[in-house]
Amino acid sequence: MSIATTSPRLFSRAWSALLLVILAFLIIYPTGMLLLGALTDANPVIDGFANMQLSLGNFATVLANPTVHAALGNSLLACTGGTLLAVVIGLFFAWIVVRTDTPMRGFIAATGMLPLFVPPLVAGVAWAILGSPKTGLLNTVLASMGIGFRFNLYSLSGIIFVFGMYYAPYVYMFTASALRNMDPSLEEAAEISGASAFRTMFTITFPLILPAIVSGMLLSFIVMLGIYGVPATLGAPANIPVLTTYIFQLTSWSPPRYGTAASVAMILMVVTGALVVIQQKVLSGRSYVTVAGKAFRPRTLRLGPWRWFTFALAVIYLFVVVLLPTAALLIGAFRKFLFIRNLEALFDAKQYSWLHFDRLFSNPATIDSIVNTMEVGVATALIGGVLAFAVGYTVARTQAPWRRAIDVIATVPVAIPGLVIGVAYLWAWIGLPGGFYGTIWILALAFVARFLPDTVKVLTSSLMQIHRELEEAAWLCGRGTLSTIATITLPLARPGVIAAMTLLFVLSIRELGSSLFLYSSQTMVMAVHLLGYYEGGNFSVTAAFSLVQMVLLAVLIGLTNLATRSSAPSDAVGSVGRAG
Amino acid sequence: MSAELAIRDLEKVFSTGKPAVDGVSFTIAKGEIVVLLGPSGCGKTTTLRCVAGLEHPTAGEISLDGDLVSAPAKGILTPPRARNIGMVFQSYAVWPHMTVRQNVTYPLRTRGMTRAAMTAAVAEALDLVDLAAYADRPVTQLSGGQMQRVALARSMVYAPRLLLLDEPLSNLDAQLRLRLRDDLRRIIKRTGLTALYVTHDQQEAVVLGDRIGVMQDGKLRQMATPADLYNRPADQFVAEFTGAASMLPCRLVRREGEFGSVEMADGRRVEAWMPGAPAIGAAMVLAIRPENALLGAAGGPNCFTARVTSLRYQGTQTIYELDALGGRIEALELGTAARHAEGAEVSLTLPPALTWAYASLP
Repeated sequence: MSIATTSPRLFSRAWSALLLVILAFLIIYPTGMLLLGALTDANPVIDGFANMQLSLGNFATVLANPTVHAALGNSLLACTGGTLLAVVIGLFFAWIVVRTDTPMRGFIAATGMLPLFVPPLVAGVAWAILGSPKTGLLNTVLASMGIGFRFNLYSLSGIIFVFGMYYAPYVYMFTASALRNMDPSLEEAAEISGASAFRTMFTITFPLILPAIVSGMLLSFIVMLGIYGVPATLGAPANIPVLTTYIFQLTSWSPPRYGTAASVAMILMVVTGALVVIQQKVLSGRSYVTVAGKAFRPRTLRLGPWRWFTFALAVIYLFVVVLLPTAALLIGAFRKFLFIRNLEALFDAKQYSWLHFDRLFSNPATIDSIVNTMEVGVATALIGGVLAFAVGYTVARTQAPWRRAIDVIATVPVAIPGLVIGVAYLWAWIGLPGGFYGTIWILALAFVARFLPDTVKVLTSSLMQIHRELEEAAWLCGRGTLSTIATITLPLARPGVIAAMTLLFVLSIRELGSSLFLYSSQTMVMAVHLLGYYEGGNFSVTAAFSLVQMVLLAVLIGLTNLATRSSAPSDAVGSVGRAG
Repeated sequence: MSAELAIRDLEKVFSTGKPAVDGVSFTIAKGEIVVLLGPSGCGKTTTLRCVAGLEHPTAGEISLDGDLVSAPAKGILTPPRARNIGMVFQSYAVWPHMTVRQNVTYPLRTRGMTRAAMTAAVAEALDLVDLAAYADRPVTQLSGGQMQRVALARSMVYAPRLLLLDEPLSNLDAQLRLRLRDDLRRIIKRTGLTALYVTHDQQEAVVLGDRIGVMQDGKLRQMATPADLYNRPADQFVAEFTGAASMLPCRLVRREGEFGSVEMADGRRVEAWMPGAPAIGAAMVLAIRPENALLGAAGGPNCFTARVTSLRYQGTQTIYELDALGGRIEALELGTAARHAEGAEVSLTLPPALTWAYASLP
């Protein structure tokens, strides 16, 4: 009897301890080192702990530095502006898709999600091609039409525009589902009470979905704050520093200012963390959505002829975020010279060729970067998938000790922008023996840590769909825990596991922020290589490489959808946009 | 304030093709409570929503005190906000982001009232539903019954011309439903509002309604006082729906006004009440409620012998299944002790006024 009760307990303690050690190694150790780095001038792992002198000197320097002020100000401005734009667009789309009889709503809803899949760096490249002040395609078109106005995407408003356009689908996802789940009689009651449609919208509908609006807003803000690709492509030419680009700049000076970079990264992390906490509060707090287990038929507003107006707005949005950038990349990639004198020259077939693709693939680094990216992707998917399953199962399905702590630690990376994880891993591993630094494994482990919250979320939601009694039945048949997981849980959760692993693969292909700090000449990945081409000033090859990346991503996402038609795709979609 | 509601030839066809409401006409007098009763999908809620203006009828006319509010043929369709109608929803539809007072004040804000008049009206409405003590609570802290009373106060506070209630008690537990049912009638009658009430619960309909309309397949089968509905069901559907459990085939042999004789399958003749003017020799159905089939000889017409084939003891009453008149008849007797055993021979009396014969449905 005593053996039977103590040994499982011992086992589950050992299991929890193992998970905690792994998570500490992946998440707490690098973050702690980042903090130490911010507090010292030297790296204790390299220089020895004896030489370490704790001081707030770095923070004092950083806080007194006008460039940091400018970067922080620009970051907040860009993210606030981008978020507001995203809310206006996202809320409007949620409303027309869920609540009106606008033609082709389903198509609008599906296509409207596409921007989420576009890596921010690629979006930035496309809009640089379209809207650079001198040679931008849009400006060429304007000039040949004799219009004096010029777009300038190399500006803060350019960054805001791209942020707002590409992150509107976030706000859309949150608000559309809130609108769909709302009891329509709440609005009918207002109308019967004498309120106009307009008044009903502002006194009943919007206040009721406010939690969804706020959490969509905060999430977009958090994501934008950590993005490197867009400010690097659109902000850098005009010398507009934001926190992420400034952190990278600090580490590329010689000698690199790691201590300063670490303290700026800490500032970024604190701001993000605070926002994540607020978002969780909003989500768990007053949720008005009446979940009565009842399917409501959402009210559709008959817009009459106005429905063509809303349709036109939707088409304009899709044109701007999907068609224009794609066209820009295609033109950029296939035209021999990107300089276009006038509109006629744009349609001159002789100007188009595979030249840039030839140049792209004749560079051996390109193939290397693709191979490296695939290797990192597979490693991330396998390690991350197994770890996330272990964490998700332990937290959601067992009584193992310390599972609350495991849950909290696994969620921490939500609040750490990719770039900060990159700095932290760099700092934590650069001096450790074993030669991790400079291999693809450090990239893979950083990605595993960075995307652990998203992977666990996807896996947990598919685990939750498996009724506990299915497992209990297996126990009663005489199976142990591991055998039950292998024969019952895993087969049933397979779509979720596949979805989570593919998600990890896709995310790690797109990831730029953390890769920037962790690649070496041997382990260059696609995103970094692409940025290199852009910064080298070669727009045409950059465009060609962007297209290659987009096609790869499209194929992967298409395959995922085929493989996991039934399992929590919305979670996966939501997570794809988080990377950058 | 309260108005007369007149509905004429109302029709609502959804895109699925089958009419949900099919030629319904009735009038509700000022201050009267009319209940629409019927199984789910019979069109009662659609009728109510047409009156509210939340659904657009495809034909017919709806008027309040002579003002046409819906008349598709004339292109008239007053929006809900301009109809001055109050409505209580099945899901309560109290706004969760407001307090009780804010909920009840909301309809008054668009009505150009002074602040003092609004406060007074809200206080009066809350008093009426006995929620004055809860005025400043968020509605999410209330129980289901209290939320329903907030919804009621909100729908009456602006003294609408008509009050609509859409199964307002169906989301409450059984005990609360009984209490609120009595309260509802008292409150509505005290305000003198004209009310149209929709339910599938017969008990609710009988207690609440001055008149009850039974609907089936989009048609209004009968509209009558509760007593008439139970004692003079207009057709076989109404009789069956309100509880006539025994249906026996028969043939008309003699008719005098509303009464006549039918011949049963075993050749016996039964005196019965019959609506309409069926022809002699027509195939008919004899309908009997278990409560109206009396065990024992009462002396008079329609006394037959029957045999108990089975019985269902229900504590305070017993339902006997009888083999009689060439078919099966259910009879109910009150009392905690069953008087007859299975297989016993008993006398069965069917009072002619409470024994109904209807022309067979084709």
